[in-house]
Amino acid sequence: MVGEIAAVQETAPSVRPIHVSARDVTVSFGPVMALDGFTAHIPRGIVGLLGPNGAGKSTFIKASLGLISLNKGTISVAGLDSQTQSLQIRDSIGYMPEHDCLIPSVNAVELVSYLGMISGMTSLDAMQRSHEMLDFVGIGEERYRPIKSYSTGMKQKVKLAQAIVHDPKLMFLDEPTSGMDPQGREELLGLVTKMASSEKTIIVSSHILQDVERICDYAIIIDSGKLVRSGEMKTLLAGEQGVRSLTIRGSAEALSRYAQALERACRIVERKDEAGNQITFLVRGCDDGKKVFQLAAENGVQVRSYHPEMLDLEEVFLRAFRGGERDGH
Amino acid sequence: MGINPIEYHAWKGERTAQNLRLYVIARSVFRHKIRSLGVIILLVIGFLLVHAFSLITIVLLSHEELKASDMNSYLGGGLFVIFSMLLAAVVTSDLISEDLASNSFVLYFSRALKVRDYLAGKAAGALLVMSLFCALPPIIVALVSIATQTGGNYWDGFGVLGKTALVGALVTLFFVPFGMMISCFTRRKSYAAVGTFMSFFVLVVVAELFSQFSRGWRVISPIDALTYLFSWFFGEPVPGYVDKGALGLIVVSLIIVPAVVVYYRLTRQVVGK
Repeated sequence: MVGEIAAVQETAPSVRPIHVSARDVTVSFGPVMALDGFTAHIPRGIVGLLGPNGAGKSTFIKASLGLISLNKGTISVAGLDSQTQSLQIRDSIGYMPEHDCLIPSVNAVELVSYLGMISGMTSLDAMQRSHEMLDFVGIGEERYRPIKSYSTGMKQKVKLAQAIVHDPKLMFLDEPTSGMDPQGREELLGLVTKMASSEKTIIVSSHILQDVERICDYAIIIDSGKLVRSGEMKTLLAGEQGVRSLTIRGSAEALSRYAQALERACRIVERKDEAGNQITFLVRGCDDGKKVFQLAAENGVQVRSYHPEMLDLEEVFLRAFRGGERDGH
Repeated sequence: MGINPIEYHAWKGERTAQNLRLYVIARSVFRHKIRSLGVIILLVIGFLLVHAFSLITIVLLSHEELKASDMNSYLGGGLFVIFSMLLAAVVTSDLISEDLASNSFVLYFSRALKVRDYLAGKAAGALLVMSLFCALPPIIVALVSIATQTGGNYWDGFGVLGKTALVGALVTLFFVPFGMMISCFTRRKSYAAVGTFMSFFVLVVVAELFSQFSRGWRVISPIDALTYLFSWFFGEPVPGYVDKGALGLIVVSLIIVPAVVVYYRLTRQVVGK
């Protein structure tokens, strides 16, 4: 079903400078199509890469780093081709992998400084910067303990520290809050937001929609290796143009009368009955609201709210998977 | 985050050590290994059993000059090769298996590092440790022998010293690629260590078995192959049944083939998967 949906790029690529660009990218592992004609333009800022497990998010990241060969198409990262200039790309990015990848026998300082040196920093710089980054992510004296003794949250923070030790302009964070408790998640998302304030592009791959909604200003929804929808977060969450949300409360009889009258005045797009004494409508064609309030007064119901339709990312996500259709309740 | 949260600060420095990545990996391996108890124990026991005796003999016994036959009997006795084999098994055991077990390849290869450089760095670190037993002590023994000789012919002694260094370098190099190959097929360093040693041991047993039919088969035993090679290098007689072509082929194969296997294993089955 999803495969039949035409991918929608809400924002014209020219609105913001593009940092990563994928054109018709196809990657397969044997018979499994991980990316299937994936096309997307990723602007600067914090960008959410959304999709269910197995959608192709991690494959896209690895393909962008040149760690996976493309069957077809091209990926350009900051103007560099991922297949022919992968070393230059990797030299300028930071990558926080999804899975456990830290060397358990060493401590956080050793690991982060070692990876800083592999990124081309001198020994002194790497050591100094690794301490700064471990301070930034909130790893205290524990930094001198072997990583095998760390909690999941601490490991995630060390993974973040190693990704930023060399101060890359572009970062790929693959499921950064995976396995973390709510407080840890909150802390990590705060760190990402702080980093973004220093002119960085951060691509956050996640299936936790609340995380992406909270920190990202652009989102890309991917499923079965295809782009399903993308755009500025505020555009995605804005809902359909001309559709307003109306919540009324009253007796069952009054609500029924009001609904009939409303149907004659405007077009009801969606109706949700809530707890017997409240209904939320999505209506079209009653923009000024006069008629809505007049009918409420005539029928003895109370208008609790009346505003343009606002979505949450979960609804955007679900609608994208239904081909733009509403739930149909 | 505390009452005064630490902000992210961009780094103002410049990355100037991109060409030292290989050295960074090698140094890390070397440091890790020389702190490892297993490696320290093997180095000490090996040094005492293999090198210390020769060193003491040379110092105590009067000799006119350093002779190739002396170095050949010191290094070609079998014990030197067996200890080198043991040390290589321990040193190479976690070179790749640890990264496989922890999935840390992704940390290396998300940076501007080629598989070739990663392997070269790991191998260089292991070779440095191996040289502490295989190359350095024989050179010291040869130097002490030259320093304490009673005769005046130093040139021949230096010639033997050069050959000793060559033999040391060869033994240093000989076991490492094979050990790395075994290490890249398992996530457990104990399996890698035992696997490396047992693989060589199996070759020794097979050589022993087949030598019942033809003594030429002895060249497939790493111990015998290296012993013949030392004799060849030191200008000592090599048994007539040894085919020098086959000997060279075996030695080169045991170095080149494992190195190629490790490279392809990492390139095709590990990186990006």
